[in-house]
Amino acid sequence: MAAANAHAVSDAEYAEVSGHRLLGFLFFLISDCVIFGNFIFSYLYLRNAAPLWPPVGIERPYLYLAAVNSIVLFGSGATMHYAMEGMRHDRRSQFIGYTLATIVLGSMFLGGQAYEYTHLLPHTTWAGTTFGASFYTLTGLHGFHVFIGVIFLIVVLLQTLRGTYTQERHFGLTAATLYWHFVDVIWVALFFLFYIY
Amino acid sequence: MLESIPTELRIIAFIGAVIVAVVALVALRGEWPKTRLEDHVTKIMMVLLTVGCIEVMLVAIGTIGRVK
Repeated sequence: MAAANAHAVSDAEYAEVSGHRLLGFLFFLISDCVIFGNFIFSYLYLRNAAPLWPPVGIERPYLYLAAVNSIVLFGSGATMHYAMEGMRHDRRSQFIGYTLATIVLGSMFLGGQAYEYTHLLPHTTWAGTTFGASFYTLTGLHGFHVFIGVIFLIVVLLQTLRGTYTQERHFGLTAATLYWHFVDVIWVALFFLFYIY
Repeated sequence: MLESIPTELRIIAFIGAVIVAVVALVALRGEWPKTRLEDHVTKIMMVLLTVGCIEVMLVAIGTIGRVK
């Protein structure tokens, strides 16, 4: 049914509508960047206003687990790229394999983040300090985006298995790929801010 | 528990970062001739992904990052 609906328009119409959708989706990603940007600048303001950072009694987040977790997420960006390449070249098995790998890596990242929250930061709470509030708000917001991304990928994978997308018509997959890359790139900034800077 | 095995985590992070950086650069090279809007966005994302990998490599070899 979905496949039938997808082909109810001509290729030219689909291409034109895809262009508009892509622009709309990029505006959505830019607006999401603004949200993260607001929180990041709030964090930087609070950090610069504090005499000591992190505040006394608050430990820094554990660096090396975050480094491994970052590579898991960055690796998922690479697998997502090759999944999309598979669809562009009509290699469905490549698309399915790499998309599954991306879903697994994204879930591993969320698991690593949950482990960090529960085991490695016993004295840092959301409500306790400005550091904790900033850390949990930003990394939590990012984790929520990763969670939504995993759901997004599961949905497009199921749609692909049902035949909704083809080599020529796959805007949903393009959007999912761009969203996943966006989530990766935001983490580059957050990793630097909370674990390195 | 993880705090007692920093060396192993650093090695994993470094090797992973090198692999992902190489894959991202190969992907960037493949994307380079393409000219659609989403291709240009993908190029930017791949460059930033490589920057992230370099960040992790520097952390793994101890050049940047504070443990405590």
